[in-house]
This record gives sequence, C-alpha cells and structure tokens, in this order.
Amino acid sequence: MHKGLVLVVDDEAPIRDILSFYLKRAGYQVLLAENGRQALEEMAKLQPDLIISDLRMPEIAGDEFCQIVKGDPATRDIYFVLVSAMDGSASRIGGLNLGADDMIAKPFHAQEVMAKVASAFRIIQMQKEIKRQNQILTRFQERMTAELSLAAKLQMGLLPEAPGEVSCLRYYHRYLPAEGIGGDIYAISTALDGGVAIMIADVSGHGVTAALISAMVKTSFSNQIQLSSNPREWAEGMNLDLVNNTLEEQFATAFLGHFDPEANLLRYVVAGHEPPFRIPVGAAPEALKGKGFMLGIDASLPFMELSAPFEPGDRIILYTDGLVEVEREDREYLGNDGLMSYCAQLPSDGEAAVEQLLEQARAFHSPNPFVDDVTLVLLDRAR
Amino acid sequence: MLNIQTRQEGNASVVTIQGKVNFEVTAQLRDVIRDTVTTLLPKLLVINLEGVSFIDSSGLGLLVAARNSVDKNSGKLHLCGLPPQVKKTFDQTNLTNYFSIFATEQDALRGA
Repeated sequence: MHKGLVLVVDDEAPIRDILSFYLKRAGYQVLLAENGRQALEEMAKLQPDLIISDLRMPEIAGDEFCQIVKGDPATRDIYFVLVSAMDGSASRIGGLNLGADDMIAKPFHAQEVMAKVASAFRIIQMQKEIKRQNQILTRFQERMTAELSLAAKLQMGLLPEAPGEVSCLRYYHRYLPAEGIGGDIYAISTALDGGVAIMIADVSGHGVTAALISAMVKTSFSNQIQLSSNPREWAEGMNLDLVNNTLEEQFATAFLGHFDPEANLLRYVVAGHEPPFRIPVGAAPEALKGKGFMLGIDASLPFMELSAPFEPGDRIILYTDGLVEVEREDREYLGNDGLMSYCAQLPSDGEAAVEQLLEQARAFHSPNPFVDDVTLVLLDRAR
Repeated sequence: MLNIQTRQEGNASVVTIQGKVNFEVTAQLRDVIRDTVTTLLPKLLVINLEGVSFIDSSGLGLLVAARNSVDKNSGKLHLCGLPPQVKKTFDQTNLTNYFSIFATEQDALRGA
C-alpha cells in the first residue's frame, strides 16, 4: 500500500533522481516528467495526488503548467508545489498567485522537500475526507428532498380539491406549507345528518412531524363525523385521539363547524384557533369568536359549542395563524382584526377573493415572507 | 436570542425567560425546565414570562408539558408577567384558563 502518487517535473535529471529516491524511500509512488508537456501526458494516464514542478523548463514551463492544472476542474484539486530558483518573497507570492499551493526555493534540502510533502499529504487526506463526507451528505440530502416532495404531494392529496362544492357551499383555498410540507389541514364533507362538516386545524410546529399529525387530525375528524353531527362531540373525540396518540408537546388548534342549510345555522367549536369571519350579504364581517382549548392538551378539558347564522349569499373565511402572524420590527402583526378589515371589500368571485386576501396579507408583511404554514379557505353559500 | 435564568426561592424554583420563544429555541428551554423539575422537584415552579416578546405554538406546548411534569411530582406551576402580546396568544388558545397566571413574580411565589 503506497502512501500516494507524486509527479515530479524537472528538466534536470539529477534533481528528478534525487527527489524520486527520497520519495520512494518514504513510501510514495513516483511519476517523472521533464517538462510541463510531458507532465500533462503522464497525467492523462494517471492522476497524481501531488505535483512537485520546477518553474523554468522548456516546452511548457512551471508557471504555465500550474495554470493549466489549476484551471481545469478535473485537476485543480491536485496539490501543486512550485520549485523556483528565485528565493525572493516576490516570486513566492507570484507562484502562489498562479494557484500553486506551496513553493520551494532552489537550492533545496531533500529533507525540506520531504517535510513539505508530508504536510501536503496531511492536507490531501483531509480534503479527500471532506469530499467523501460531502458526497454522503449530498446523497442524503437528495434522498430527503425526494422523500419530502413525495410526502408533500401526498399531503396535498389529503386536502379537498378546490374549488369544489358540498351541498350549497362552494369552497376555495390557498395552501402554502412553510417547508414544502406542513401542519395545516382542512376538510369539508357531508355530515352524517346531511349537513356539512367543516374543519380547519393547525398542528403545533411545522415540517414532517407536524405533517404526520395533521394527517392523523384529518383521519380523526373523518371518523368523528361518521359518529355524530355534533361539533362539540367531534372536538371531544379528536381531543382524545390527539392526547392518546401524540407526544405531550404536540397539539392542534382547530375550528370545527356543522352547517345545517335548512336551519341556516352554523354550530361550531373554536379550539384555540384563529376566529373565522362570517361576511353576511351587504353587511360588515364579524369574527366567530369562541373560547376553547387546543386539541391534544388534556383528555378532561371541556369544549363549548356556539352558533351563528349562515344565510344564502353569506361567506365564511377560515385561515391559520401563519397568514396573520409575520414579525416585522416596525409594526404590529396584521392579526385577525387586520385581516377582517380586508374582508370588508372582497370581490364576489370566490377565487378572486381568496387571491386578493392572500396578496393583501402578503403585501402587509412585505418584504418579510410568510414563515409559518399558511392556509386560507373561503366558503360561499349559494344565494 | 433566548435568555433563561433559574434560581431558588425557598421551596420554589423560578425560571425567568427573556426573548422570543419559538421552534428554534424550545429544545434549550425544554432542557432547563426538565433539569429544574427532575433535580429540584420543586413544590412550586414559577415561570416568569415578563421579558418574552413572542411565543409560538411550540412554546405553548412546552409550557403545557411543564405543567404536566410538575403535576406528576404533585407540585404546582405558576406563570407570571405575561406581556400583552403573549397574553393575547394565551387568551386565544384558552390557556389562560388552563394555567395559574399571576401579575407579578411576588404574587406567583405567594400563590395569591
């Protein structure tokens, strides 16, 4: 097992011989060349770890040879030591400026050269190790990126396809996870009694863990709405599911609503979530405030059901806190009040309305981008 | 930047937090609270939030977990000094009714 491959380039045979002798004795493999041109021919066959090259040579001289080696991405990592008869600091700096990694002044002691070679190989080994680690990291990162993008696609598949319709409700959404994948989730489907079951939730934290829990929240909601048509019971059931199946610091804020089109009534539970807004036809928006605990904190915590009218032509806006909480040094958060003021003047077209609302929130925070997962859902009841 | 300080007041441990409590710093805060609870087994843990400018959901989760671990040792957790922005977050998530919250550290230590 040799210690590495060294290419010695010098037009003087005695110098080649001396260096070759010492290098071989120290356990290195040696290639020899008389000038830059020959050296490049040797390198085409076998790539050295280290080049020790004279400066003044016929054909291709050391400085030009150095520039060729350092200018080619395939060879520029080869450690290059330039040997020069001029022992002034100016020529040393000149050599290093050419891209040489080190300089040796002529005349030299063989021991000095061998010490430089040993130190060069320590650096070469380190570089090789860094390269190897870097490759492992790059491969790992590529795999994670691929996995994440697959997971993100899957998560998008958990959302209702928007725009869409359930009963007399038409819904639109914008969903912007902070890290490609996120902890926000919403669902809308037909309830057990023929009404409409609505859920939006924001799992604590973001990224993969939050995304996994958000899938669980959706499953839990789907199970609950098969059991009853009562949002307070849904909240209790989902709370139990989260308490039993997540770690103690993980929970979700949620808004759970049951809409009865015949009674024009929305019964709902606010579980620590941002208050949705109801925009009655021709009237100012109002917040559907409610005080309820987040889901997943404690199995014994109670939930409270509230209700609001939901008449033909009314609109409801649901969102997660990422839309209204972006820090800007120079002002307060947009907050629910800020967002609600935007809701007073939205286009009647639902798609145009979600877009405008999202852009208004984005513009308020600008130049800062959204940092948390952002979900915005708009429900339009047909007139 | 999060600044956390711990000290003893008789049977009580006081943890003072300053800065922004978000996802990036919860690990640091979790370690301090866990160490305090498991090594000192305080009858009363007071967490002073006076210097907290922002708390996100992972920070809230941490406080809920802190209450649970103090409960297990039959101790009590008292929070104090909630700035308006933090108070708003607590109100919205109804945690105001889950924790024992006091205006000042003295009140929290007296438990009154």
